[in-house]
Parts: sequence; structure tokens; C-alpha cells
Amino acid sequence: MHGLSSLSSWLSKNRWLFFAFGAVAFILILIMPLIPFPQKNLWVRVLGYAGLYILLGLGLLIHVGLTGMLDLGFAAYYGIGAYTYALLASDHFGIHLPFWLMLIVGGLVAALVGVLVCIPVLRLRGDYLAIVTLGFGEITRLLFLNLKGFTNGSQGVIGIDKPDLFGMIFKTGTHFYYLILLLIIVFVFLTSRLVKSRTGRAWLAIREDEDVAELSGVNTTTYKLLAFAAGAFIGGLGGVVFAAWQGSIFPDNFNLMASINVLCLIILGGLGNLYGVVIGALALIALPDMLRGFSDFRMLIFGIMLIVMMIVKPNGFLPRIPPRLERQKPEQEREGK
Amino acid sequence: MPPELKTFIEQLLNGITVGSLYALIALGYTMVYGVLSMVNFAHGDIFMVGAYVGSFTLARFADNGMLQTSPALAVIVTFIAGAFGAALTGVTVERLAYRPLSKASRLATLISAIGASITLQELVRLTPKLGQAVLSIHFGTFNLFPADFVNWGSKMLKDFGGSAARTYPALLGSGGFTIAGIFIPYVRLLIVGLSLLIMVGLYLLVQHTKMGKAMRAVSEDKDTASLMGVNVNQVIRTTFFIGSALAGIAGVMVGFLYLQIRVDMGFVPGIKAFTSAVLGGIGSIPGAVLGGYLLGLAEVLGIQVLPSVYKDVVAFAILILTLIFMPNGLVGGKKRLMKL
Repeated sequence: MHGLSSLSSWLSKNRWLFFAFGAVAFILILIMPLIPFPQKNLWVRVLGYAGLYILLGLGLLIHVGLTGMLDLGFAAYYGIGAYTYALLASDHFGIHLPFWLMLIVGGLVAALVGVLVCIPVLRLRGDYLAIVTLGFGEITRLLFLNLKGFTNGSQGVIGIDKPDLFGMIFKTGTHFYYLILLLIIVFVFLTSRLVKSRTGRAWLAIREDEDVAELSGVNTTTYKLLAFAAGAFIGGLGGVVFAAWQGSIFPDNFNLMASINVLCLIILGGLGNLYGVVIGALALIALPDMLRGFSDFRMLIFGIMLIVMMIVKPNGFLPRIPPRLERQKPEQEREGK
Repeated sequence: MPPELKTFIEQLLNGITVGSLYALIALGYTMVYGVLSMVNFAHGDIFMVGAYVGSFTLARFADNGMLQTSPALAVIVTFIAGAFGAALTGVTVERLAYRPLSKASRLATLISAIGASITLQELVRLTPKLGQAVLSIHFGTFNLFPADFVNWGSKMLKDFGGSAARTYPALLGSGGFTIAGIFIPYVRLLIVGLSLLIMVGLYLLVQHTKMGKAMRAVSEDKDTASLMGVNVNQVIRTTFFIGSALAGIAGVMVGFLYLQIRVDMGFVPGIKAFTSAVLGGIGSIPGAVLGGYLLGLAEVLGIQVLPSVYKDVVAFAILILTLIFMPNGLVGGKKRLMKL
């Protein structure tokens, strides 16, 4: 684990190597679904699924990793996005709105719910916030389950529309692989810009110490609401993609275990590191999915790993972001003197 | 007596029974919160372990045919076994998952607690599988365990854990007595009576023993208590032991009441007991009892108005509303572990 962080610091010193390595990896990821190899469809599906979790991880990272608000109900936003798309683009109500519009609408609906959840819990911190969000997540799932006239209860919503791009229908895992890859690139870029902006600095300040942040003039209310909305937006968008890919959704897709899975992957990758999310998702979702015989012990290993991780390496495999930003300012000031 | 009133009173009795269970589990949450200021997320799963140890014990009684000949003994031994099984689990969880993190952030402790919760559930679920793997360890043709032991072991392992639900024998039967036309089953009477007895015992322990005094001191101020010569780690261990034992007893009660236990049975009662603890004022023992009974009754009253599938939604809504509007609960603040 120490090796990984020293590797990443060595890579950041030799930037050309970092870019070369990155370029090769990117090309491999890009052409992966096109080259034939054994069990390709399974790999594409598993990596697409891991990609979906990377997307969700980015959303939760804004809540937990950047702003320091432990959210145990993240699956609720994911589910709200998924149900928004499923209800408005399937035979369930006979409404068929286009996927690309719903991608934004699903995100916005989830963001709105995120803000509505956040307003009453603004005063709560730490474990209290965690339990309230957990309660909210469970209420959402129970509503999906019990509002039978609206969501069809445990039967779920089936026959959800596939996305359509200028007449090309997204059907196979490869199509969704590319869709998810595109969304990951967009949101990694947006989030990394956001982290370096005034908003990102405000979030990090709240994470480090909310009282100090407030005393330093950070409007904690606004920035916490913004963090909740941004994270929930990404979650909702992920839900829309999930619903479109699966073609059918059920309330149990959005249970507490889904929230905890997302939490696990950002903790494993490093709480507060964008690239850690990628490593965490690949480790947690892709690896056990490939090792079928091993899958029975997957949750046991998760559980033990969470404890060991917290004891041995509470900050995850990769360091918190943005180390450069945190160190840069004082050095520049010293040079100025 | 009009039938509506009769149904209503029966529902109230139901609420009191469930409230007793919530109160027993809530006591564990509140005591741990009192001494460690942390939410023991794995408490619901400790409750589940208690139920499984109880079911294992009952299976041993069934082996000897003693379930029919001496049911009272079986019930008593099952309660004791469930309590000790849960207590040992609680102390182990504290030692392995929480104590190494005593200096870490609250976030780290909470995540570790989530990990402990998952680990306990999965360990119980996988016990037959893991145990079978251990029993079949062999080096070439040499088996680590003799064949007799392997046979015996795999038979024992079948009675503990697994993915499928396990059943409790209906020892307490469907018997009961009738007062003014209202039927009171013995099993509910036992649950309410035993819970009250335990709560009184806990109160006496906390108020009138040296260990109780030490617990109160630690919950007031850990560092000062340590300077006054209180062995803080031992107090924490004892608190986990007692709190988990109560959860284990509640687990066995649930087994006898609903006759079926599952590996994931701890989650919903765990959250509801936590709600009770928060409603009463987390950290306060009388608060946990009050909160438990109030929540039990609120659920029963809630489903008079709403469809019964919304029972859990009522509980979660109470939790969220309490945390938002009354975070100190009914009885009082975080540091009032043992004050009335």
C-alpha cells in the first residue's frame, strides 16, 4: 500500500511517463470491446458495471470524501434517477421520453431530492447524519416497494426503453460500455475542475473542520446544499443509465447494500481521491465478479476489509486530494517573502 | 366489549411486546453510546447471533428428546446461552473492530462498525461452509481431523447459520389465558415480564454496584475517570458484555415469538431500537426503555391509520423527525447515561 502511494508520487515527478502510461491505458480501455478474446462479452459487461459504480462513487465522493458528510442512503438518489427514467420511458405509463433528455432530468430530480433531504439535516453531523441518510434511503426503498399503483411494487418496472442515438439503438453491453466511459470522462473532468475551484476548496474546508470553515467566512449551508445536489445529480444520472441498460428495475436494486457497496469502493480507493474511485470500483466490483467461485465469500471479505482498512490505512490506497493544492499556497507565500 | 375496542387493546398489547424487545436492544445502543460516544452499528447483528446461538441450543435439547420432557429447562438454558453467545460476540467485536480505533476519527469507527456488521452476518451465513472447509483439511492422505469428529462436526454445523431461515420449536405453544375476553399468549407475557425484570436488574446494577459507578464515571468523562483509577478499558468491555447479552436475550425472545430467524433479521430491529434510543435520548438508560415502549406503541397506532406495510416507514420517520427537532431526545442529553 505504501508502494502504491510512492509509485504515484514517483509518477507525478516523471510526468512524461505518467502521460505515456495514461495514454496507453486509455487506448487499451477504448479498444477493449473491439478486440476479440475469450469471454469478451462477460468482461465488457463486468467492466461496464464497474464503470457504473465509478460514476456512483464520484457522486458519493462529493458527499463523503470531499465534504465529509457520511451518507448511507446514496442508493436512494440512484433509485430515484432509475425510477424517473423507468416511469417516463417505458410501457408502464405509455410515456416514452427520449433517453438523453431523461439523463439530465433524472439527475435533476435526484438533485432536488438531495437538497430537500439536506435542508432538514444541515445541523446534523457525523453518525447522526449517517443514520438519518440511512433512514431516508430505506424510506425511499420502502416507497418504491409499497406505492404499488405508481411503481408496480416488488414486480418492478419492466420493458424500459433503450437509448437511441440518431436512429442507433443501444442494445449490447459494448454500447453501454462506451456510454458509461464517456460519462466517466465527463464527470471525472468536471469533478476535478470543481475540486480546484472555490466550491471545491469550500468543501474541503468543511471536511477538515466545519466550525473553522464557517468562522473563516465559508457559507457552509450553501456549500453543503451544493455538495448534496451535485452528488445526488451524479447518482441520479447513474440510475438512469442503469435502468436503460438493465431494461427492468426492482426496489431491491436500491437497498442498503447498494449504498454500502458504493461507500466501500470510495473508502478502498481513498476517501477524497478521484482516481482512487476508479481503483476501488475495479477492485470491488470487477475482481469478485470475475472470480465466480469466490463470490460467496465476497461480502465476508468486504466486511473484514472495511475493518482492517480502517485500522491499517484509514485514508485508502491513494492519498487525499488535492495534496498539491493544500501545500502549494504556503510555499508560494514563503517564496514571496 | 365492542369488537373494535377489543382489537385495539390486543394491538396495544402487541405494541407493548414489541416495545419490550426494542427497549432491550436499545439499552445496548445507549450504554455503548454512553461510554464510547459511538453508534454500535453491529448491535443488530449481535442480536441476531444471540438468536442463532439460542436455536443451536434448542437443537441440542431436541437431540436428547429433552424438548418434550423438560421444556422449561430448555427455555431457561436457551436464554442463558443466547445471552452469553451474544455477549462474547459483542466483546470480541469491541476488541477487534473498535478498540484499535479509539484514537481514530468517528467516521473511521463508524465504517469499521459497518464492516463488523457485514462480517457477523456473513460469518453466521457461511458457518456451515467455512466449518466444512476446516473439517476437510488434509495433507495428502492424512486427514487433520478423525472421521468421527468430522461426522459429528458437520452435524453440529448444520444446526448453526446458513442462508435459509431457521425455525424455533413452538415450545411456549399457542397457549395463554383470557381476561375480559382478551387473549394473552404466554409467550408475550414472558417477553414483557422478563424484559421488565432485566431492566430493573440493570438499573440496580448501574446505580448500586461499584461497576455501575465506574460506568457512570466513564460516561461522564473518560479521562477524568481514568485519572481516578477506573480501568476504562475494562468498563468498556463490561458495557459491551452487558449490552450485547441484553440483545442476545431479545434475539431468543424474537425466536420464540415469531418462530423463525434469519441472518439479516438484525437490521430492521436494530434500526428501530436505535430509533428508540434516540427518541428517549441516547446515552440515557431510562430514555432507552421509554423510547422502546413509545416506538412500539407508535407503530401499532401508526398502522391503525396507514396500511400495515408502512410500519417501517413510521419508525424511520420518527427517527428522522426526532433527530431533526429533538436531537437530545425526551429524557435528555448525551452525557446522562445513568441519570433518571
